[in-house]
Amino acid sequence: MVRAASDYQIPEDRIPLPPSNAEVLTTACDYCIVGCGYKAYRWPVGREGGPKAGQNALKVDFPAPVNSGKWISPNMHNITMVNGKPHHVVVIPDGDSKVVNVQGTHSVRGGALAQKLFNPNKPTAQRLRQPMMRVRGTLQAVSWDTAFEVAAGISKHVLDKYGEHAWGMKSYSYQYFENTYAISKLAFGAVGTPAFAPHDKPGPGKDTPGIDFSGINPFSASYEDWGAAEVIFFSGVDPYETKSVLFTSWIMAGKTPNKKLIFALPRKTTGVAWGESKGGLFLPVIPGTDTVLHLAMIRLILENGWEDKEFISRMISNKWEIGSGMGRGTRNTPWQWVTTWGKYGTDFANYKKWVLGYKYAELDRAAKITGVPANLIRKGYFWGVTATSPAFISEEDYQDFINISCGAGTRPGQVISRGGGHQRGWMGGAGYPRGLSPEKMPGRRKKEIDLDRWTADGNLRFAWVIGTTWFQAMAGSQNLMDAVRGMTAQSPHQIDSFDAKAAIETLKRRADSGGMAVVNQDIYPVAPIGTEYADLVLPAATWGEEDFTRCNGERRLRLYSKIADPPGQAMPDWKIIAGFAKKMGFKDFDWKDSNEIFEEAARFGRKGVLNYHPLVVKAKKDGVRAHDLLRSYGTEGIQTPIRMVKGELVGTKRLHDETLELGPPEGPTMHPKWLTHFGTQVGKAVLLKSPWEDFQDFYERVTPKGDEVWVTNGRINEVWQSAFDDKRRPYIMQRWPYQFLEIHPDDAKKRGIESGDLVAVENDDLLVQTGGYLGVDGKDLTFTELEKAGKIEKSKGSFTAVAMVTEAIRPGVTFAYFNFPENPANSVVHRVVDPMTNRYRYKLGKGKLRKLGESPYKHSFTTMSFAPRDIM
Amino acid sequence: MTQEAQNDKFCLSRRAFLLSGGTAAGIVAVTGIPGLVDAALQTATYPRRKIGQVSKLKVDVPLVVQYPGKDPNSMAYLVKLGKSAGGGVGPKGDIVAFSTLCSHMGGPLIGTYKGKHKVLGPCPFHLTTFDLSRHGLVVAGQATESLPQVRLEVKGDDIYATGVMGLIYGYHDNLAIQG
Ligand code: SF4
Ligand code: FES
Repeated sequence: MVRAASDYQIPEDRIPLPPSNAEVLTTACDYCIVGCGYKAYRWPVGREGGPKAGQNALKVDFPAPVNSGKWISPNMHNITMVNGKPHHVVVIPDGDSKVVNVQGTHSVRGGALAQKLFNPNKPTAQRLRQPMMRVRGTLQAVSWDTAFEVAAGISKHVLDKYGEHAWGMKSYSYQYFENTYAISKLAFGAVGTPAFAPHDKPGPGKDTPGIDFSGINPFSASYEDWGAAEVIFFSGVDPYETKSVLFTSWIMAGKTPNKKLIFALPRKTTGVAWGESKGGLFLPVIPGTDTVLHLAMIRLILENGWEDKEFISRMISNKWEIGSGMGRGTRNTPWQWVTTWGKYGTDFANYKKWVLGYKYAELDRAAKITGVPANLIRKGYFWGVTATSPAFISEEDYQDFINISCGAGTRPGQVISRGGGHQRGWMGGAGYPRGLSPEKMPGRRKKEIDLDRWTADGNLRFAWVIGTTWFQAMAGSQNLMDAVRGMTAQSPHQIDSFDAKAAIETLKRRADSGGMAVVNQDIYPVAPIGTEYADLVLPAATWGEEDFTRCNGERRLRLYSKIADPPGQAMPDWKIIAGFAKKMGFKDFDWKDSNEIFEEAARFGRKGVLNYHPLVVKAKKDGVRAHDLLRSYGTEGIQTPIRMVKGELVGTKRLHDETLELGPPEGPTMHPKWLTHFGTQVGKAVLLKSPWEDFQDFYERVTPKGDEVWVTNGRINEVWQSAFDDKRRPYIMQRWPYQFLEIHPDDAKKRGIESGDLVAVENDDLLVQTGGYLGVDGKDLTFTELEKAGKIEKSKGSFTAVAMVTEAIRPGVTFAYFNFPENPANSVVHRVVDPMTNRYRYKLGKGKLRKLGESPYKHSFTTMSFAPRDIM
Repeated sequence: MTQEAQNDKFCLSRRAFLLSGGTAAGIVAVTGIPGLVDAALQTATYPRRKIGQVSKLKVDVPLVVQYPGKDPNSMAYLVKLGKSAGGGVGPKGDIVAFSTLCSHMGGPLIGTYKGKHKVLGPCPFHLTTFDLSRHGLVVAGQATESLPQVRLEVKGDDIYATGVMGLIYGYHDNLAIQG
């Protein structure tokens, strides 16, 4: 296992200042969806600027003023190689920014971006630098050519003999347009495989299907809207912990700093505590019961006739409008499964009738199921309907009506969006071949693959994993690892020669005996996929090592400049894909730089919300590279979809914007209906019923019994994703050296657990679905039917964590970080997908707690803090 | 010599050290608590200045002191936590001192001490909280550094400040600006 940075950090007490003539490059944060703007100052080692404004590139007198965005903290400085020469690099939030991170505010994650850059004297020394092949069990360096030859050799065999279904790819979906374009062009276009899944889901498709099927783009709002809202209802998310600057710059500030915040969450975190201190509301919901909470609030609204009637009559689809197909095509689309298979879509009159007659929407019953006292539910809905500018931010599905009923969705400060995790960096170079997917909904409708089940059931012969931990990010992690270990590391067919042809023959024998060859492409060694299972490990270049582009949570497109050299022979992912594709004999993979891909890809995004095609057209007209034109927009960038008005590029602040005035579309500009209306054919939103019964069978089966507790999981502010960078940050490792588990004092006391104790979380009743690819009759793929058909197996999962006893969490519920790969919380989460959306119920793990003894942190003064996160 | 040139000279020697030393760039593995404080100060020369008396301190009542400089950025809190702490001095090892400028963007932390949890914060600007019993570690929040801790020594009843761990907000060098 990769050991992270030291647990002890001696902080620096000075930083070198960039001299006045330091080079300045613009970029944006590599991490969360907020996408803060940053500037990198770089200059050769051996010089330093001075503390007077005229002596440094920040043009500020030191001490730097409070809240100026001009102070350089030690974690914002590093030394790295630029064109082979050592340089100082300072990566600092853009203190002049007027958008996103106004005045240079930033989070603990982005603020330490400089530490991401490769410095062999720091823990980034662990970066992968050369392609490696596992020969006789040991990963050893080989040439790029050998790596490509072996990967292509086994791929050809698998494709010829077993077909594209047996050639799988598991990849990030967000690490820049240039890379995802190349990845999807290869996987969906050249190879044509349906066996693909993004990093966060078992298969392709919508992240928040409920919002999407209603016709609401999950990133329709702009940050200004969050600033202008009067009431915000947060369901399943505290953005302070996950989208820090959205909270600190816009929700705590913006046009209406005194807005009221309502949170539905099982635990109280910093943002919730702040919201409460400003008169907000905390609805401490039992995990998994949010739907019932929303239904109860909707019912109260409808009972009182407090819905926004004018808005509903104007913006909600009637029966005929739903039937018109909503522009999504009537056949074989996810939208149709939802609206016809279960007859979810309905008009307002029928929706109202349904809710008012629906027993699970009754206040007292809802209070009992959700654990939220009736008086709190009542208060929550009351604020929503009395606000003139309500807004909604959600990580949940099927709660759209509560928002729409209050008139949110299409106006400044009255919006509905997802919180979101990572930035929007997917640019599909080819469409997902759903028709080839082995999975089918009841009826004739195909659905996307569940790659995990497909793999665990032994259907893959080759897997290529790019920039994700795969197993630890998916449910039933250890069960999945067991399956893959059996097909790889435990196969008798292990490469024993550096001769590429011999290596390919070995891997063919493995594939032919039911095993699987694995390529892992990443920036660090990833356990276990890279360190234990992969036959080839390929080193990737990342943020700051190549010019890249992508959008943030308000669709703001920026150029992320190359700042420093990548380590060793590491190459950007697109280049690795291209190298492999050429060995395969695939055409049109010969780009000379990332700008060429950016320009090529523009055509493929023209119809989508990330459309930047007009920028490329303008760049061509002006005779400049599209990357360079975007570079001229600096950290502010431009919000997509980009339009052309009087020959100039114009960004789009919000989608579904009733206030947006559009002339006739000019040049390459597209004017899809969703610019000014909801994303349906008639431009009106579709109401979807959310019957609790659809989920109840599974929910009741996984509800903790006896001395089990809920083991839910999520993000914490100080850590990003799998902690791949944080592990190399002594400062963060001092704070979070290990997985943790928040436990309520009542639950802790019963088990003799104190803060700092090491506990094992064990789920011996872990449910794992096998088979069940084809639904025939209506209810075939529901949990009840799968169980009856013998498709649900029992397995086990466990992880260890350091206990943090706190009243901030509900009794009966515990909380862990969602992806510390060494202690995967998803191990105790059931690997059974929701039949409608193909998504795991990630937050509904359970287990028993076993105290193992004291952790080294229990009595430490240097590492880990046990103070709660809700101190206000 | 211009100011910039002087800085160049200082920088050369210091950075040469950083580039050659494998563990010098901010990471030193130490085990003991006093060692943690000492190791940070091996290369710096801070003034030794009396900043308080043990007998005058009450548990959970912080006092404003001035260290290492005389300017507003050097305002620090001297506080007796009532339980032993990282870098703590006095008979119970519970007396500590920290910068009062948030190490995120310089928010004022005076008046935010919470005795129950021994934390400073939440910062009024972006809500960062710092654990004073654990060398100023961030409990939750946005600061990219722990809260700079003032190193203390006790002689009889007198408390002396002898150094600072971490860069104080606003400064580029804790020792460059003293007045
Ligand atoms: S809030 Fe998100 S984008 Fe902004 S600095 Fe932090 S991690 Fe980066
Ligand atoms: S200045 Fe203190 S949290 Fe930002």
